[in-house]
Amino acid sequence: MVMGGIDLSVRLGSLELPYPTLMGSGCYGSGEEFAPFADLSKIGAIVLKSVTREPRLGNPTPRLVQTPGGMLNAIGLQNPGIDWYLEHDVAKFANRPCAVIGSVAGFCVDDYAYVCEKLAARDEIAAVEINISCPNVASEGETFACDPGPTGKVVRAVRSTTSKPIVVKLSPNVTDIAEIAREAQAAGADALAVINTVRGMAIDVDRWRPRLGNVTGGLSGPAIRPIAVLAVYEVARAVTIPIVGQGGIETVSDALEFLLAGASAISIGTGNFTDPRIPERILAGLAEYATQRGLASLRDIVGKANVGVLDAGNYEGDQG
Amino acid sequence: MEAVGTSSLVHETTVLDRREPARDVVILVLNAPRFARVTKPGQFLMVVPPHGGAAATALGVYDVDGDRVCLLFFVCGPRTLELAALRAGDRLDCFGPLGNGFDHDAAGGDVAIVAGGVGIASVLLSARALRGRDARVGLYYGARNAARLVEAQRFADEGCELHLATDDGSAGHRGPVTELLSRDLATRDTIRANAPMSILACGPTPMLRAVARIAAQHDVRAQLSLEETFACGVGGCWGCVVALDANSAQAPPFPGPDRHGSDTVHARICKEGPVFWSHELRW
Repeated sequence: MVMGGIDLSVRLGSLELPYPTLMGSGCYGSGEEFAPFADLSKIGAIVLKSVTREPRLGNPTPRLVQTPGGMLNAIGLQNPGIDWYLEHDVAKFANRPCAVIGSVAGFCVDDYAYVCEKLAARDEIAAVEINISCPNVASEGETFACDPGPTGKVVRAVRSTTSKPIVVKLSPNVTDIAEIAREAQAAGADALAVINTVRGMAIDVDRWRPRLGNVTGGLSGPAIRPIAVLAVYEVARAVTIPIVGQGGIETVSDALEFLLAGASAISIGTGNFTDPRIPERILAGLAEYATQRGLASLRDIVGKANVGVLDAGNYEGDQG
Repeated sequence: MEAVGTSSLVHETTVLDRREPARDVVILVLNAPRFARVTKPGQFLMVVPPHGGAAATALGVYDVDGDRVCLLFFVCGPRTLELAALRAGDRLDCFGPLGNGFDHDAAGGDVAIVAGGVGIASVLLSARALRGRDARVGLYYGARNAARLVEAQRFADEGCELHLATDDGSAGHRGPVTELLSRDLATRDTIRANAPMSILACGPTPMLRAVARIAAQHDVRAQLSLEETFACGVGGCWGCVVALDANSAQAPPFPGPDRHGSDTVHARICKEGPVFWSHELRW
């Protein structure tokens, strides 16, 4: 959409969004929870909470711990399962004043394909995010995103079930995220969400026990922003498909870092917990920034700070 | 001066006054007509951190007076430390009110209000609402020490009989406040058998568990306002759940017992609660 003469639209595969601001999966419910506090017509898309093949009660409590500059969570993919979801929830998404992107999680390749096919078949769902990177479910949860082989298998499987855009959400808890990004693109992903939460834990020094019921959790918030910016930077050098940058975005300056690193869109998760007005403020701030810089479109700055990597061998500065 | 932030129900308020009735216990008086008009006893506000960088803080609405809303909190971490530094004239953004408060219509007969520590922040509006009923209202109030037993007189002014307890015995009964409740309920059983009675409680989880146990022993219905860390505060993240009887009227519609072979569901404390019937909790 053009706002103040600036083209803010972004394309994820065949899906064109009016604004480059998405609401992160698991952080925004289905949108209705935040509707009294935020203008949903001023966001690009809501990414829904992940749904799995079978219903899940989720992890034991406590599921949240506040930490410096962010928080740990270990919700454990609590959801009603795809059948209940299709029957009771999905029809409500038709009324949202913004695009709705479904999110699929699973425990084997077949799970992903099964849920994706059913979800993507619904008109209310504009695109599907594939959550191969949840750090909070036992064993299998994150392993798909930690290895190019399984990543490719899942993405090929879901690709065969739908022609709707597929966004693959990558994990930062890997050695080489670029390698996994390349595999996801080769397997048919239309876009990549970079990054999911960073594994972490907190310990109660009075009780001598981990604070989270799940023991480990996923760290989000401003604390992980530099990790996320670097991940976007590295992925942008490895793929040609659009990147949705995410990790601790709270201000327009934060959002710009991700765009300049190579993201075409950004996603806000934990920032909504700080202030539900943050997405609208960032959108207005992006338009204002583009105006001040004389840009016709935000696309003009995507990746503009991505100057490659320093080759230490050729570095001619201080050798100390 | 209160302004509406964009199109949302997030409102700007102004700090009118700040009191510190005890060390690390702070009461902020806000000019907040939009919240004052609609807040019900037991509801909470999400307070936006003045400098960002952390999730908003859920604070029970302590008092409402005309256009004024009072928030009472303990300083116990960086977020409350930041709020404690606010002074008269400072701006503070909040959203809400949120959650389902206490149901006074369902609280029949004489009422025991049980508050532990900062739980006192969520029960003053109930004490006031129950005043004028043809019933006795007792405040069972426990704190670490006499200094932390803040605002007790406010409840006496609202017509509550005070039953005080401290961990160190510096005021009232020495020990958990639930010992007082238990003793009085036992006495009551002997002198006024079958007298209707209800409990409203807010405080730390161990206290609430004790209240639930005592309520069950004496066949008294108790409404408990649960304490938990929130992230979103509006039901979007499922971070603050508690196990609840699947047949409770407060149970979220999924996943039902037919799907899990169990009679327990996870309910969101911020959305379905924070007040639950003690006999419906499966904790």
